[in-house]
Amino acid sequence: MKVRVAHLNFYYGDFLALSDISMEILDRQITALIGPSGCGKSTFLRCLNRMNDTIPCTCAEGQILLDGVDINTPETDVVALRQRVGMVFQRPNPFPQSIFDNVAFGPRVLGTHRGAGLADVVEQSLRGAALWTEVKDELDHDALSLSLGQQQRLCIARAIAVQPEVILMDEPCSALDPIATLEIEELMQRLKENYCIVIVTHNMQQAARVSDWTGFFWLGELVEFGATETVFTRPQHQLTEDYITGRAG
Amino acid sequence: MPREMFERELQRLQDELIALGSMVENAIIESVEILRRRDMEGARQLIAQDREINKRRFAIEEDALVLIATQQPMASDLRVIAAVLEISTELERMGDYAKGIATINLMIGEEPLIKPLIDVPRMARKARDMLHQALEAFTRGDIELARSIPPLDREVDALYDQVYRELLTYIIADPKKIEQANQLLWVAHNLERTADRVINICERVVFTVTGELAEMSDGEPGISGTN
Repeated sequence: MKVRVAHLNFYYGDFLALSDISMEILDRQITALIGPSGCGKSTFLRCLNRMNDTIPCTCAEGQILLDGVDINTPETDVVALRQRVGMVFQRPNPFPQSIFDNVAFGPRVLGTHRGAGLADVVEQSLRGAALWTEVKDELDHDALSLSLGQQQRLCIARAIAVQPEVILMDEPCSALDPIATLEIEELMQRLKENYCIVIVTHNMQQAARVSDWTGFFWLGELVEFGATETVFTRPQHQLTEDYITGRAG
Repeated sequence: MPREMFERELQRLQDELIALGSMVENAIIESVEILRRRDMEGARQLIAQDREINKRRFAIEEDALVLIATQQPMASDLRVIAAVLEISTELERMGDYAKGIATINLMIGEEPLIKPLIDVPRMARKARDMLHQALEAFTRGDIELARSIPPLDREVDALYDQVYRELLTYIIADPKKIEQANQLLWVAHNLERTADRVINICERVVFTVTGELAEMSDGEPGISGTN
């Protein structure tokens, strides 16, 4: 198990956005989080690398253990945490720099590689994100000249360049066309051989297609968590059934 | 109701299945009645009617596939559609059994029956009643009703054994009757298989409601084999 969440509460000011969430997230598996807008799934995702810290007046209670170590303590080095737990966002957000510099950004900041070593990391990361063959001859081109689907894979390459252990994906395909979406989904299947992946998605068919485990959130609570094939064929809770069959939410 | 159109289509699919079921129920009873009356024209009509059953079953299959492709059904909706596909296949095969009985009637031709048909019409009525109840259970999602049907198959099996033994005595008494006795045994066999297939429908009812796929049986071994 990579991440164990126990009795997590999360507040925006007085508003309880997540209530008593417990979940075990396995390594080298894809865990999908589904639920209607405002149900808390993205808030939960951002708890896993403390991205919510950047929002004022927020507060988390309970435990989130990464490899058995609580990440919600004052001693936690948040920069190191986010290196271990990377994130890919809804809209591709490459820096207005070259393709090479985008991927090299993290290793440069962390000072882990330079020179030929850095070029290797960039190549490996682009290969890992299934983008290398498309961009290998234009690494000095502006990243913003790529298609949206390529930009999103570039962001994934940028995320894996710092050799994270967990990759969080917040609706990574919602800005992409169907073909680019399928390319990201294929990529996720390859990435899961090396990483623990957690994805928030509005697209239930996507959750059903790509994930091993599915959690269904509703009004800040985790209603159901189980193997994807069970959740989508024989959900245990009526609310899950109503949501995935399109009768609630 | 957010998925009104889908709900309507799903209901229509189930209505089509029940309509197909009614045709098959009639075919089961009619096939034996036609044999009893020695009605050759009726037999030909029933054989023609089986083509209509096959056509409707394909139409149901097509509609079900369109719903899956266009609506991405999940959970219980998906199970209903999967069950409709399975049940429509069972109904089509039951229609074939009825057609088989009509064909046997034509094969026996003008020759009088070697014995009056008593247990065979009983088998047909019981198989028809079982089918009717199974479709009722499907429509209502009633798993208790579905579970109460397989034990009734024992009565059909018992009648089959009785017909078998009786026909044996005819064969022993007069070897000239072997051919027709054999044909009548096929009639009984088709009805026995019809009842077996009803049990498969009951399994689908339980699957639709609970998501559990489990084999049901009448609980007794017999010469009629498994379902």
